[in-house]
Amino acid sequence: MSSYTGLDGPKSKHYYRIWGATFLFGLCLAMGLLYYATIQVEYTWRWNRVPQYFFYENTVEIRTNIEGEISNIQKTSGQATVTIQGNGEEESHIVPVQNLLLGQGDYVYPGDTLGTYKHWKIGILIEGLLLTLEVSCLAIIFGILIGLFTGLARIADNPILRWSAIVYIEIIRGSPLLVQIFLWYFVVGTVINTMLAQYGLSQVPPLWFGVMALAIFTGAYTAEIVRAGIQSVHRGQMEAARSLGMNYAQAMRKVILPQALRRILPPLAGQFISLVKDSSLLGVISIRELTKATREVVTSSLQPFEIWIVCAILYLLLTFTLSMFVQYLERKAI
Amino acid sequence: MSAPIIDVRNIEKYFYTPEELKALNRVSCTVDPGEVVVIIGPSGSGKSTFLRCLNRLEYADAGEIIIDGINILDPKCNINAIRAEVGMVFQSFNLFPHKTVLENLTMAQMTVRGRSKKEAEDKAMVLLKKVGIADKFAAKPDQISGGQQQRVAIARSLAMNPKIMLFDEPTSALDPEMVGEVLDVMKTLAREGMTMVVVTHEMGFAREVADRVLFMDKGEILEQGPPSHFFTNPVHERTKEFLSQIL
Repeated sequence: MSSYTGLDGPKSKHYYRIWGATFLFGLCLAMGLLYYATIQVEYTWRWNRVPQYFFYENTVEIRTNIEGEISNIQKTSGQATVTIQGNGEEESHIVPVQNLLLGQGDYVYPGDTLGTYKHWKIGILIEGLLLTLEVSCLAIIFGILIGLFTGLARIADNPILRWSAIVYIEIIRGSPLLVQIFLWYFVVGTVINTMLAQYGLSQVPPLWFGVMALAIFTGAYTAEIVRAGIQSVHRGQMEAARSLGMNYAQAMRKVILPQALRRILPPLAGQFISLVKDSSLLGVISIRELTKATREVVTSSLQPFEIWIVCAILYLLLTFTLSMFVQYLERKAI
Repeated sequence: MSAPIIDVRNIEKYFYTPEELKALNRVSCTVDPGEVVVIIGPSGSGKSTFLRCLNRLEYADAGEIIIDGINILDPKCNINAIRAEVGMVFQSFNLFPHKTVLENLTMAQMTVRGRSKKEAEDKAMVLLKKVGIADKFAAKPDQISGGQQQRVAIARSLAMNPKIMLFDEPTSALDPEMVGEVLDVMKTLAREGMTMVVVTHEMGFAREVADRVLFMDKGEILEQGPPSHFFTNPVHERTKEFLSQIL
């Protein structure tokens, strides 16, 4: 419903029906036109080949390690335990009965195939999705912590806190995320990993430089949101809390921040949705998140239309879930 | 009488926005324990600023403010400890909207006074009963009327066992029919011997309850005296003019 109910007269019964139908018609028209256009360029849709990038059945061959004779095959409910003896050695393998290729008494050499079995594995798109989820969650957690601290520092009386916060926010907001990711990986990453190598320590994987780049980037925006939220709480709230004898930290924690956080949930949600989408840039530093995974699939499958559409839908799934979760928090907070 | 509990000596206060303004000009005054002092004056006279200086919500630029023997303008004093002893009631109530009425009363008791939850809640319920809204303890502030909110605010301050209560136009934001219930609570407090400094436009309250009335104008105390004398025989021309306009 309109935010200004009552300012204009009531709409007729048909008003909503007609315009609702128009909307649906427009939606169908757009999709139809897209389909027609792809036919014009003679693109062959092969949606049936998409699922294998989510889950696929992998065939594994069971091979022998030693030379010898198959001394015994014990069959129990679909599984066969194959025992091989030779040169004083013995080994046994479990093979599904219907896939058994050899029989008792057969002589085998190392590397011979006894049989095969199949199992389900998650495809590259799901792997990418999970990595995107992991990177985003870590970056959101660090982003909130950095943003909260910087937001408080931004309004502090202490010059070092306030100026540090301002410098940090302005620098981060003033440069492209892609450049920041390169700086983290090629400059900070190189320095840290070279130093670690000099002390004989293990390397920090690129994932963590990606997470830090995203968290520091988001933290700057979150800090400004937090600051605005704190300043939107009426001055009288702080005065009331302080007049009761609470100190600044107590008043902030118990009175100001709970009210501020409630108000900043909608802009925070927007910020974190941006972060999930921005994680698609991390492919450039060899983090195989959803976008990089999609590019690899497109290269091998030559089905750019389907795969990129699927990629977009997967991002939508993540951001929509996040958005629903924040709306739930908002409702709960009131 | 014992030594004054509030001793204000020549305080000055400037505001610099938008232009320099001398809000308080060498104001001095003392309040004895158990005394009820009502401050009246036209708007912009500095009466609220003066009140807010007494618990350092405004930092006076010059002079001395001695509360219960401690100079609160000394940067080394523990202002939080002093504020716990000086309750303040605001014109706009300033209840914590995210907390229930009961939590509004217990929060500072637990964080500042270090009382247990049980102790704080018992104390809170006694005070809510005293101000006549014990049945609303579970309500949120936006679910009760303005008069009830202001009574909760008074109870919230009283929960700290203050020695002094400051009232900054406590009835100015209320509907006329709710003014009475708040004034009744304040009258009860005065009768019980609480030291009170009240900025108000309620002349009836001043006449009935005040031990002393101060009249402020342009950042100075022009005249003070017991209400019987103050309302009938004002000395200063400005006081006469002000009283003739409001009475």
